[in-house]
Amino acid sequence: MICENCKQRPATITVTQMKNGKKLTRHYCDVCNKQLDHFHLNLDSDEDPNAVQKLFSSWFGTPSWSVQAVPISNTQTKVQNDSCPQCGMTYRKFLEEGKFNCPTCYETFKEQLPQVLKRLHNGAIEHIGKVPGSINESYQMKRQIEALRQDMKSAVEEERFEDAASIRDQVREIEKKLQSGGEESDEH
Amino acid sequence: MTSIDHFLKSKPPLWMRGDINYGDIIMSTRIRLARNLTGFRFPRAFSDEEALQIDKLVSSAIIDEENNLDVPFSYFSLHDMPALQRQVLVEKHLISPQLANKTKMGSILVSEDETISIMINEEDHIRIQCLQPGLQLDKAYHLADEMDRLLEEKLPYAFDDSFGYLTSCPTNTGTGLRASVMMHLPALTVTNQMGPLINTMARLGMVVRGIYGEGTEATGNYYQISNQITLGKPEEDIILDLQSVAEQIVQKEIGARRALLEHASIAVSDRLNRSLGVLQYARILSSEEAANCLSNVRLGIDLGLIPPIPDRVLNECMLIMQPGFLQQHAGTTLQANERDVYRASIIREQLQMNNTDSKQ
Repeated sequence: MICENCKQRPATITVTQMKNGKKLTRHYCDVCNKQLDHFHLNLDSDEDPNAVQKLFSSWFGTPSWSVQAVPISNTQTKVQNDSCPQCGMTYRKFLEEGKFNCPTCYETFKEQLPQVLKRLHNGAIEHIGKVPGSINESYQMKRQIEALRQDMKSAVEEERFEDAASIRDQVREIEKKLQSGGEESDEH
Repeated sequence: MTSIDHFLKSKPPLWMRGDINYGDIIMSTRIRLARNLTGFRFPRAFSDEEALQIDKLVSSAIIDEENNLDVPFSYFSLHDMPALQRQVLVEKHLISPQLANKTKMGSILVSEDETISIMINEEDHIRIQCLQPGLQLDKAYHLADEMDRLLEEKLPYAFDDSFGYLTSCPTNTGTGLRASVMMHLPALTVTNQMGPLINTMARLGMVVRGIYGEGTEATGNYYQISNQITLGKPEEDIILDLQSVAEQIVQKEIGARRALLEHASIAVSDRLNRSLGVLQYARILSSEEAANCLSNVRLGIDLGLIPPIPDRVLNECMLIMQPGFLQQHAGTTLQANERDVYRASIIREQLQMNNTDSKQ
């Protein structure tokens, strides 16, 4: 196939655009594609703040033409008007700006966040990986207790009562450690 | 504490000294960790008072004799730093252009060997950055992780069990890790393979950016490849994936270089040697032309078509040809046309010095 722009070089790139709800497919060579600048390379800085903003408003924001046309339901209005108790950020403002104002925003908008994160991180909504040391310790202990409780349950079911008792002691030991670390244990 | 002059010298820093793990194609490796402190608003919304508190907390956590760090750190506030010095730090990749503009509350902690810098109050409260020569993702991550552990012992990080490290921009949420490699890909560029490669990278969750040049000019056939996704993937996997992508691109570049030599040896040799001629004899050199010629000369040396010039000399040329460094070196501000003349003379000088050195 020949490039649709210069009609000389072979086309190596397919560009699909949505125009008035119709799908338009174009074929360009690398040279023309660069000149036509469909995929703008950001060259001078680490991150391009504008790109992120555009991305957000086009993905999640209500397009300007639909604001008047479609009445916003009550629940949607509520969600958009909820503001962060620490910094006053609203979800609508976040969609416009693409950035949060404080760590508490994550808690405030945790209902809406998964759909945003999914888009940005290839479907992922949950952190896997490093955990800060101080948090890590109690986090690990809680996980350990959960695992031991499961063991204890199966030991009881299998009538291995001595095992169950020793597991129970282990759980108590860890719970004590958790408490002394300033953490409150919810069971005694 | 080391004075700022140490960091303004044109001597290429440790991470630019090449000769290591694919050093002819992968120039350097960079790891960046984004972190924030709980209880403070992010820099885009915080008060001057919050900015000051964060600055004090972070700098005193690092500048602390009890840390027993192998390499000492120095602290500089952007507030009282002249614009030219800030530009030189940007050109050395020690700070980002965004931080250079934050003269009100931005500051930097930098290790004496310039491999680790910690930006305070950029987009996030803390940005730990580690630079290494060649392809050394593991080592760079390990060094950045060490600083991270030191900080987390002393400061309360904003962290959520399900979202991970909380950052101002949700594109960094999770690990807060951006791993990048800076690659010199002249053969893939000249054979028009970069466009399709950039598209493939996007599908793999990687971003390709240009990294060189004045303002927005894209030159020198240098590309920075980094991970896009920071959530749902542990640090080790992010690094491993980038490592394997970088190695594959190296193989593609080697293949493209071989093909160039086989199909157009004399034409390639002509073009590359002409670039050497330009650098040796030109009287006016724009940063774009200088970057392209330096890229060609580097390729010529790698292909054995140009007699060797040490990496040290080429890297020094690359550093010093940038507008901030040129003016720092000249000791005065220069207009763009004056810079082009000065740039040509400095590069001529560098190459001549190397010539006389090698003849002795």
